Amino acid sequence: MKARMGIALAGLLVAGNAFAAGTTLNVGMGSADAGKLDPHVATSTPDKGLLHWMFSGLVRIKPGEASPEFIEPDIAKSWTTSDDGLTWTFSLRDDVECHGDYGKIDAEDVVYSLKRSANPEVSAFAKDYTAFDSIEATGPLEVTIKLKNTVPSLLGLLVPYHGGNIVCKDAVEALGEEYQRTPIGTGPFMFAEYQPQQYVKLVANPEYYRGEPKIKEIYYRYIPSDSSRDLAFQAGEIDMIYGKQEQTWVERIQKVPGTKVTVMKPGEMSVIHLNMTMPPLDDVRVRRAVAHAINRDAMVQFKGPDVTLAALSPVPEGHLGFTADVPTYEYSIDKAKALLAEAGHPDGVTIKAIHTTLPGMLSTMEAVQALLREAGITLEIETVEHATFHEQIRKDMSQVTHYAAARFPVADVYLSQFFHSDATVGTETAIANFSHCAVADAEIAAARVETDPAKQLALWATAQQKIMDEVCAVPVVQSMQLWAWKDTLDLGVTVNGSLNLSPPVTEQAAFSE
Amino acid sequence: MTAFILKRLGFAAITLFAVLTIVFFIVRVLPGDPALAILGDQASQAALEALRVRLGLDVPLYQQYVAFLGGVLVGDWGISMVSGRPVIEEIIKVLPATLELTIASLILGVVVGIPIGVWSAVRRNKLPDYLARIGSLLGLSFPAFVSAVLLLLFFSIQLRWFPVISSGQGGSLADRLRDLALPAINLGLIMAAYITRVTRSAMLEVLNQDYVRTAHAKGLVFAVIVWRHCLRNALIPVVTVVGLYLGILIGNSVLTEIVFNRPGLGKLIVGALNQRDYTMLQGMMVIYTLIVVLVNLVTDLTYGLIDPRIKYA
Repeated sequence: MKARMGIALAGLLVAGNAFAAGTTLNVGMGSADAGKLDPHVATSTPDKGLLHWMFSGLVRIKPGEASPEFIEPDIAKSWTTSDDGLTWTFSLRDDVECHGDYGKIDAEDVVYSLKRSANPEVSAFAKDYTAFDSIEATGPLEVTIKLKNTVPSLLGLLVPYHGGNIVCKDAVEALGEEYQRTPIGTGPFMFAEYQPQQYVKLVANPEYYRGEPKIKEIYYRYIPSDSSRDLAFQAGEIDMIYGKQEQTWVERIQKVPGTKVTVMKPGEMSVIHLNMTMPPLDDVRVRRAVAHAINRDAMVQFKGPDVTLAALSPVPEGHLGFTADVPTYEYSIDKAKALLAEAGHPDGVTIKAIHTTLPGMLSTMEAVQALLREAGITLEIETVEHATFHEQIRKDMSQVTHYAAARFPVADVYLSQFFHSDATVGTETAIANFSHCAVADAEIAAARVETDPAKQLALWATAQQKIMDEVCAVPVVQSMQLWAWKDTLDLGVTVNGSLNLSPPVTEQAAFSE
Repeated sequence: MTAFILKRLGFAAITLFAVLTIVFFIVRVLPGDPALAILGDQASQAALEALRVRLGLDVPLYQQYVAFLGGVLVGDWGISMVSGRPVIEEIIKVLPATLELTIASLILGVVVGIPIGVWSAVRRNKLPDYLARIGSLLGLSFPAFVSAVLLLLFFSIQLRWFPVISSGQGGSLADRLRDLALPAINLGLIMAAYITRVTRSAMLEVLNQDYVRTAHAKGLVFAVIVWRHCLRNALIPVVTVVGLYLGILIGNSVLTEIVFNRPGLGKLIVGALNQRDYTMLQGMMVIYTLIVVLVNLVTDLTYGLIDPRIKYA
């Protein structure tokens, strides 16, 4: 009897092995479920990471890279620009098929898609396209974009990222509201199935214009528990895993035999924004004291030297327009105390921060709190749940705001969103200027429309210098994107970065076994 | 009996109305902007405003409330603000996984908990009793997420008997049982711990009753006294605890769902809360309230089956 039961149990176990290998890629993402799958609305890391494998842009950043210097043709095979940089004409490929039965992409589709991206009614990224004056189909396979003024990286707005993802007009119109649940793109993989809280299944696009992908199926599994995701990877149930931004995770997962760990750009920049309108932070000496009290080297050691970089400027290192030539505030408790005394606070100051309960961010802020305490700066942290945090910091309720963000790697994005007065929280045009910084408005605005690259870089550098001189914010560290996958999986490219924060799984990816 | 059931259903309708009203206003009083949660931190004010209009959040609260109640009355629970899918559809997709897990845990809890509780009471202050008490104490004090990870480490990583990721919707019966095993053991053993303690305590009280002494004196077989006469009388508090715990079990299954990566109501409600998905939260509350009301009704009716002297008025 016992033997029969044992055989039955073994049979049950063997029969249940549902995870195929060879041409099926199982990915473990750290999220409970899919959010919005409309690329013009999707903003979360898990959604963007998935859509990355399904959509194309007019141009793209070479797979494995994250910087605009690697831009190359995608749906557009070539383009020209007028001398004043205001008119751009794109010539499209004639072999780009929409997923499903929605036909070939033509100029009308591209025009429709870009106009949709610019429409705040249906796009979360409409503000990125405000400089677009007109988008017209000037031929069956030719699109002309006219700008009101030059923009820092027009091509950057046309890569398959946020509003640059090209949607198929017929599919969006035919599917209506259903489109946000059934994304139709032109990329190497097509949406096939969604199981709530479990996975999204993608299948290879046989009509993909660069060739049919070698991987035939991708299961993008939502596994919110970090430990379960790691265990599933260890057990071989998933082939690629989204990592925790922690040194210990890298060290732990590297020990799993046959694992390749990748540390990718763009880094998520942790910045402490100091509200310049609220005492005592309205005094630059107090803000400089805060900057002197934060030891970036200690922060890098704390967060992990393999997964973080010290941040010098409000623009992350390696991004277009970054400069290291900014006023720096070396770690010095004595200088911090002297500045506080000079500002009339010989016994120190107390400042308050509303902060999210997200563990990764909170541990950073608690380390900063400990460093500030040494200089007599008491940082009181009021923790609130994440959605509440986002609402309250935008209502200008926090004296100190710790914000971590990864954006398109051009200085203008960081400077405009976080340090231009138009973006000041509490105003109608607010984005994320938590410090009420307005010291570099002229340079940021001028750089945005400057056509001479050298002058543009100089303007961005000046803006960063002014921001750091006034200490609108204290950049702390950049936390890199961490992924691991089986070493039998060859992505076909060297992975240094990924704008959409997920590794490039293209037509070239394949298992070697 | 019919009058009793109708009366209870009437009370259930009032309870449901009260819960829905409270939930409707509480979720809107909570800080956190659904539009911001959906569109993310780079969205412009114009995009956020446009979304608020599309979600119907721009109209006065009382109008939203009337529209919501009207929808509930005709079975329209609205559209999830985040996914854009109908709330009822989202719930129905994961409800079977939650019910499956809850029922399996309940069966395991009862099958393990009642015999051990009886055994422990009968062997009071002897080794089996000590073992049962220590075991149940461990079951009660071990956090579900810790025991879940330990189960995964042992059965999935060391022995490779079960998968780490439970799909909750495997194709074959074997797949489903395999997916269900560890999560059900995790929740079932905690439930067994509760049931063991309540059964033991109820049995100890019954074992000291006069009629039990009389049965002994009449020469009845000990097993018959215990299982037929004592246990039946001890079951009322056990059923009460099972009924109460069942509601808690459904609510508390979220950690087990997360660690074993099963779909379920727990994960759905946590996601809805994080994203300020008002319509989903409201729909979830309807389901939770219905389940609790139904479980209580079934519990009350079970009393009559156990003890025929109980009459329903």
